[in-house]
Amino acid sequence: MKLARWAAAAWALGVWTAPAAAQQEQGPTVGQRAPDFALPAATRAGTQARPVRLRDFKGKTVVLAFFYKARTKG
Amino acid sequence: MNAYRDQYATLFHGGKDVVLLAISADSVETLASWAKDADFPFTFLSDAHGDAGKLYGAWLPEHQLDNRSLFVVGPNGKVTYRATPFREVDPTAYEELGAAVKAAAGGPTSSGY
Repeated sequence: MKLARWAAAAWALGVWTAPAAAQQEQGPTVGQRAPDFALPAATRAGTQARPVRLRDFKGKTVVLAFFYKARTKG
Repeated sequence: MNAYRDQYATLFHGGKDVVLLAISADSVETLASWAKDADFPFTFLSDAHGDAGKLYGAWLPEHQLDNRSLFVVGPNGKVTYRATPFREVDPTAYEELGAAVKAAAGGPTSSGY
């Protein structure tokens, strides 16, 4: 009886923690080196001729804000 | 992105020694036109194929979009803060981000990428 309760609890825990764990465990964690990339860039002045590389900003603090889609909230 | 713009001065020191890169799967032309219309003071990057998103675990292959998530990279090239996913409608998320940026900017500036 006790064992069954434990098994049920373990099962429930597994079920309920799985989606949270799957949410976004990839990508660098705090303390790890931020992977470099190069992407086409745009500002309010227009598209830029040269791609932007993360390492171009060495010595500065960089905030990478990934978002879904232009002209949406958030 | 509107919240980033409206809090740009406080969150990112108005861009002084702090660079905000807003990344999505949109084309560079779409991003440029939106940045112009909304007068965003920061840089947008077009991650159409998820090159950056995949490296940061943000890419959603089934939607071909980058999930809302945020990383602060310190002057030494290391991640100092991550919010995955970023709770864009929660005001405390921005407070937390502001504190993280301040902490990162005040950190050591040794080594490079």
